[in-house]
Amino acid sequence: MHSIYSRINNISGILSTCLMVLLLGISLSSFVFTADPKGSLEISSIQVSPGKARRYHNKNQDFAFVQFNVSADLTPLFNWNTKQLFLYVGAEYTDNKGVRNEVVIWDKIVRRKEDADINIQGRNKYAFRELSSTFRKAPPAHYTLKYNVMPYVGILTYGEAARTIEPVAFPESRDLS
Amino acid sequence: MFAEELKTMRRLGIRHILLQILNFASVLASGLMIWKGLGLITNTESPIVVVLSGSMEPAFYRGDLLFLTNPANEKYKTGDITVYKVPGADIPIVHRVLETHDIFKKKKGAVATTPLGQDQLLLTKGDNNYIDDIELYQGLDWLERKHIVGKVRGFLPYIGYVTIAMNDFPQLKYALLGGLGLLALIQRE
Repeated sequence: MHSIYSRINNISGILSTCLMVLLLGISLSSFVFTADPKGSLEISSIQVSPGKARRYHNKNQDFAFVQFNVSADLTPLFNWNTKQLFLYVGAEYTDNKGVRNEVVIWDKIVRRKEDADINIQGRNKYAFRELSSTFRKAPPAHYTLKYNVMPYVGILTYGEAARTIEPVAFPESRDLS
Repeated sequence: MFAEELKTMRRLGIRHILLQILNFASVLASGLMIWKGLGLITNTESPIVVVLSGSMEPAFYRGDLLFLTNPANEKYKTGDITVYKVPGADIPIVHRVLETHDIFKKKKGAVATTPLGQDQLLLTKGDNNYIDDIELYQGLDWLERKHIVGKVRGFLPYIGYVTIAMNDFPQLKYALLGGLGLLALIQRE
């Protein structure tokens, strides 16, 4: 009845139950923190230039080069269960054929609360291309700053911190080189 | 006189062994039921996955446990972390969505009842990689909905490392199985 085996069994059972309850509590506490910080995002310049497609080298394709200013104080998103923030700037537009496009052009990982007050002048890290290979007929696009709060344990949450007030038009394509 | 007792003991022994086998089978069956039930609720073939590589560091490390859902009436968005499996690749990959393009196709006399009536083209990238995943798509230009297993909703660190350890050191697996089997046989309570 009171063998060493049954004692070990009981103790490890209680410990794992306690651990599970604690982890569940921590992950549920994420729902209590409902910070929704807002910032601003401005597009300072856009240029469109033709280039070679990555996979098909005989195919020409337009590339957009975007420069932007982003400022947002995201420190309220850091609570005791925040491991890191994943920030990303994306373009959103629906072209005249009804194709809805969302393209991430820049991202950043913030791991410390001290670094969460964002004030960055940046340009796109990733190639910004159009499905039809040219931006000529693409309508003006909205740009957004979104974030993904990644916890130590529990639910991943998403939010939008900034959005351009007016959609920004794509300029004529011209050779920059 | 002894024969009688030996008989009862043998009968008890067989019953004991049968009971243990039944217990074992019910544990296996309930595990399978929970797994399949979760899959039914979350609409994905594997609702819980273990991270095997470091391409999403520092968000996910090897051995972290991820909980997936695949909502039937929701499109994927940029920033979602998806698990996908392209034909020809043997292991699923967990990476973040970088681009989405919702293709609008006009079909005569047809209407779509859900957003999924339209095709969606996706491009993904690992947080820890410098470039997007197009080289991993086995010749495909875009990921499509049918390649996606689910998107990551919940996260539990380290727990999945047991399975990685068992794969890396098979002796551990046999030791664990043997130990459990021995305990099940000798324990009489």
